[in-house]
Amino acid sequence: MEPLTQLTLKTIDTILERVAVNPQDRLDLRGVRFADPYALVLLYLFLLEGEEARQPVTVSWPQSQRVRQWMRAMGIPMSRFSHTVGPIAEADGALQPITRIEDESGVGRVVDGFHRRLEQRYPLTETSRRALVAVMIELFQNIPHHSNATGASSDPHGVAAMQDDEDSIFLAVADKGVGLSASLGLRAGYENLSDAAALDVVFHQGASRFDDPGRGGELRRIASLVRSWDGAFALRSGRALYSFDASGGDVYDVPHFPGVQLGIRFPRQLFV
Amino acid sequence: MGAMNIERFEVAQFGPRLGTRLEGQQAREQLLVLLQSISPTGQVRVSLAGIDVLSTSFSDELIGRILHQLTNGDFGDRSLVLETPALELADGIDVKLAQRQLAVLCLVGDSWHLLGATTPAMVETLGLIIAKGQTTTKELAAELDLQMNACVNRVARLAKLHLIRREQIGMSGPQAIYTLHSILTD
Repeated sequence: MEPLTQLTLKTIDTILERVAVNPQDRLDLRGVRFADPYALVLLYLFLLEGEEARQPVTVSWPQSQRVRQWMRAMGIPMSRFSHTVGPIAEADGALQPITRIEDESGVGRVVDGFHRRLEQRYPLTETSRRALVAVMIELFQNIPHHSNATGASSDPHGVAAMQDDEDSIFLAVADKGVGLSASLGLRAGYENLSDAAALDVVFHQGASRFDDPGRGGELRRIASLVRSWDGAFALRSGRALYSFDASGGDVYDVPHFPGVQLGIRFPRQLFV
Repeated sequence: MGAMNIERFEVAQFGPRLGTRLEGQQAREQLLVLLQSISPTGQVRVSLAGIDVLSTSFSDELIGRILHQLTNGDFGDRSLVLETPALELADGIDVKLAQRQLAVLCLVGDSWHLLGATTPAMVETLGLIIAKGQTTTKELAAELDLQMNACVNRVARLAKLHLIRREQIGMSGPQAIYTLHSILTD
């Protein structure tokens, strides 16, 4: 089996698939030389899921010191995986470590933190900064609004992280809650949708679990905004992934993972 | 018609970056109290001065839901107008009102804009009523070169959305005759 060198939106599902096929296998990340925040938050939730199910995944962490240092700074404990994302030491390169999102009343504080980190590093233009903050508010509050819509989770929460590279900024928001299909399924007329069908109605109808004309449409609007920025967008729920970038996009089958995971990459030139 | 009672509601009192639906809900409760406290034909001007970011969710909770109640007649002939130092601050309001098939007048300095579910015909008709301050459907139909029925429908839509005020001044057979008033005129 080819060693993984990239831990990214494009490769993370391969990792989940490998572990799903051989749950006893060690997750081998030794060859990883680059990782993005989307893959990182999904990995974080995947390891958490294993711990909670009392089937912890054994990981061989990247050999690259730079990558290990970054992952640790972003909130992934290397030596022993833990539930707690504690205070994170500043490290070279880490823009915004994995941050826990729980109730709606805490969303403003989390957004302020992300905003501050971004502002410290970039001379943001007013328009793009406002647009990005508004996007964060919507995405972060989706976690308390939807991730435990059925009330099944005893510890409903999600995580978000952000990282920049040479030419882009990458925001990732994820939970391992009930997912789009189960959330939409609470509304009459949307019961028993497949994950791919749930993604479809979210994007094409702007549907939400709330039967209120003012609700819904946010993910569709954000996707449209990202498209206008020439950015990349990925939304994963259950067994389906919708993603696009400047070269096009589609809905893909992926290995099952609970909840909703979202990644947005946008060009840095937007902010300067 | 007497002078309009106008009250201001400063959104920035809740913070510069807003926010979640919960924050919008809390702000709406105060806006509701203000709306109910003014005279039956009064107006609340919701000001976005001092706001840095206004999310679509907050916008919907504060403005979308209130306008929904307003068009349902929950607040009599009261009206609501938005004031903003920059039109882009009201983007979220525009998006959510379009989604709800509602509209609001928005003042940016001396100019007005119609946000939400608008059509060129609505803007044209509203513009004429605002320019005149007070008019009748008959006058409007003549100036817009419209058939009376078409003009009545346009005016009815604007009145339903509380973008103008109608005052009944008599009857013509089974039909009520109204004077039409701009809500931007004191």
